[in-house]
Amino acid sequence: MRRSHLLATVACATLACAPLAANAQFAPAGSGGAPTSTVPGPGNGSSNSFEPTENTPAAKSRFSGPSPYAPQAPGVNAANLPDIGSMDPNDVPQMAPQQSASPASGDWAAYGHDDSQMRYSPLSEITPQNADQLKVAFVYHTGSYPRPGQTNKWAAETTPIKVGDGLYMCSAQNDIMKLDPATGKEIWRHNINEKYEAIPYTAACKGVTYFTSSQVPEGQPCHNRILEGTLDMRLIAVDAATGNLCEGFGNGGQVNLMQGLGESVPGFVSMTTPPPIVNGVVVVNHEVLDGQRRWAPSGVIRGYDAESGKFLWAWDVNRPDDHSQPTGNNHYSRGTPNSWAAMTGDNALGLVYVPTGNSASDYYSALRSDAENKVSSAVVALDVKTGSPRWVFQTAHKDVWDYDIGSQATLMDMPGQDGQPVPALIMPTKRGQTFVLDRRDGKPILPVEERPAPSPGVIPGDPRSPTQPWSTGMPALRVPDLKETDMWGMSPIDQLFCRIKFRRANYTGEFTPPSVDKPWIEYPGYNGGSDWGSVSYDPQSGILIANWNITPMYDQLVTRKKADELGLMPIDDPNYKPGGGGAEGNGAMDGTPYGIVVTPFWDQYTGMMCNRPPYGMITAIDMKHGQKVLWQHPLGTARANGPWGLPTGLPWEIGTPNNGGSVVTAGGVVFIAAATDNQIRAIDEHTGKVVWSAVLPGGGQANPMTYEANGHQYVAIMAGGHHFMMTPVSDQLVVYALPDHKG
Amino acid sequence: MPNTYGSRTLTEWLTLVLGVVIILVGLFFVIAGADLAMLGGSVYYVICGIPLVAGGVFMLMGRTLGAFLYLGALAYTWVWSLWEVGFSPVDLLPRDFGPTLLGILVALTIPVLRRMETRRTLRETV
Repeated sequence: MRRSHLLATVACATLACAPLAANAQFAPAGSGGAPTSTVPGPGNGSSNSFEPTENTPAAKSRFSGPSPYAPQAPGVNAANLPDIGSMDPNDVPQMAPQQSASPASGDWAAYGHDDSQMRYSPLSEITPQNADQLKVAFVYHTGSYPRPGQTNKWAAETTPIKVGDGLYMCSAQNDIMKLDPATGKEIWRHNINEKYEAIPYTAACKGVTYFTSSQVPEGQPCHNRILEGTLDMRLIAVDAATGNLCEGFGNGGQVNLMQGLGESVPGFVSMTTPPPIVNGVVVVNHEVLDGQRRWAPSGVIRGYDAESGKFLWAWDVNRPDDHSQPTGNNHYSRGTPNSWAAMTGDNALGLVYVPTGNSASDYYSALRSDAENKVSSAVVALDVKTGSPRWVFQTAHKDVWDYDIGSQATLMDMPGQDGQPVPALIMPTKRGQTFVLDRRDGKPILPVEERPAPSPGVIPGDPRSPTQPWSTGMPALRVPDLKETDMWGMSPIDQLFCRIKFRRANYTGEFTPPSVDKPWIEYPGYNGGSDWGSVSYDPQSGILIANWNITPMYDQLVTRKKADELGLMPIDDPNYKPGGGGAEGNGAMDGTPYGIVVTPFWDQYTGMMCNRPPYGMITAIDMKHGQKVLWQHPLGTARANGPWGLPTGLPWEIGTPNNGGSVVTAGGVVFIAAATDNQIRAIDEHTGKVVWSAVLPGGGQANPMTYEANGHQYVAIMAGGHHFMMTPVSDQLVVYALPDHKG
Repeated sequence: MPNTYGSRTLTEWLTLVLGVVIILVGLFFVIAGADLAMLGGSVYYVICGIPLVAGGVFMLMGRTLGAFLYLGALAYTWVWSLWEVGFSPVDLLPRDFGPTLLGILVALTIPVLRRMETRRTLRETV
């Protein structure tokens, strides 16, 4: 009691001057101008929506990036790999049967268990009745964590895969290893010598891909391969048995993915997800660092031959009919929407489902082309034979809220009209709208409504879409729009501060248009709803498990002058200081009239969110009987969180922000970490009851996985932590099993 | 033996410190609360801030009225918060937890304030 009172008193003193400070931070930076009279709608591409040409004069400001035609900086092509040649997609050899198509029952053969990416395992040794006996079986150290002097940009986010006698994984900096699944003993390790400078926003490696060659006979090196995309933009193939580079793949086992991207610097463009392999085509996407400049490197999606590493096709949004690699001084179109989420392959339909993000400069859309506006923040089904979209389903029109899709699509069957199963795809979004589509044509299976959205907004020449899509057939993974009475705090003092902050901002619910004269509140925020953890789905019970966030953001556009004053500059600006900022999402958006200032909607003096808890939830939805919510409760306790970042130690299930997904098993147990209380939990799939939890050595911001070895079930979680979630970083993979199966 | 002329006791000093804290909280309520009210938000804070400031001042003057003004504001706070969010513990926490803790301390000062009042009366009658 005393202690709490003391806290409140300190808060009083600290916060006495807070409203003034809040004012200062968001002082009017310029005029937003009168509402535009332009007819709003999707796609207002205009003559100025084309990237600079080779002859465009260089920008004079010291805060501007170099010409897109400037050469790539040293170190961008990390291994100095020569260019890769092209081949005709029709010459791609017939793919051998893959482990990921039908994994052995004890395996976990792909990022999301198998080609469906359901995150469902048929293992059933661990049940709600015995889960409370789980003990650590072994711990493996990847060796990747911030060294002294390095800014903490770590969040390994890794999910190992398990095929046969090996547990294959990558470190946060892309070293690849094979472990003994029963003991955690390292069988081989392939170091790729990635430089710290190559780390973009986050050092993450979500996983590796297992591929069986049809060309290399069984028993020879590289018949079975591990493929990996790296932060420094290499596509690497190593032999699954030895870890040695596959000489027949690319240039000595590596392909330079910076080829054709034009001007860039290390850390601007990177790969963090395992590339899917569809009918022999390995498809790669990449993250382009948000908020840097309008003419950032392209978000092009490319296909390569999984056998030889040769280039097959490119899908370049602004060059829709040209699927070839650029030659000479040319490059893929700059600033196009990038895709950083894990993609899902579909061998039967010959498609890859690409969850797309936004064009570069997330919060200003007037310089985007019509073609970009059609495919941003969407699911794009690309034909892996041609690289052309077969269908597109957009989840946010003319997105200026960073509602890029972070989740991986999950493939499943929905009951159809005539009783025949319909091949479906579940696409969770940061908006908390979960779309269920027919994967043959992208048509919604569950109803989707276009509802009016605030439009046109206040930014001259950049009108918002008059409508936005809502998945009315699925329970929304969000709470209602915020109200002043939702503001929270330890005391009336910080609550009053947050109430003022709420009232000072523009807020007209979801899709509040960006503004420059004052901040606007963005809810759902850019951490979701659903983010990269995606959902898990039990095809037997029909239960979908989704964890999600309630973390609003506080955004404001700032004029170019103000952005320069704040020192916002793109990463490729020669004056850019590495390691400074970025975590809060502030960006120069060079090449547009505005920069962007983004912070969590929090009390910056206590570090507590302004809205009331919960901040994170977990929900079970019955997909077989009318998409009803079976159970839903806050996820994560207050034990490791509190004001000023102090752990309270309270077991109160307050519901914390979470990153990372779940696993559902035939044993009726859901495994999930994700929350910022650094715990892993086992939850009864049918009741939602937490039947077991354990404290991890670091933040559990990763998708867990489960497998069988020596006849017993194991559960693995990378406790790598997350810099933005402010959870402790570790390099430990922690693996649990029931007693007597340790080691 | 009552301390009629000499220095203040420790509890009296603590009471004065509490009065200062309440004045600061009250001033914040009045100033920031006026800001919030002008932004179209709740008027509770500016209204509640006035008895808080007054209560703190009276406590500094060693008047029991100060404590009762605070307790009155606390009662108003409870009524207002129940009206605003109902019996929702999570939502009552920021609104009432701190003020009620402070209220307990204020209630403990009532005997001290009474003693200070008695002393002053004695001094005035001397």
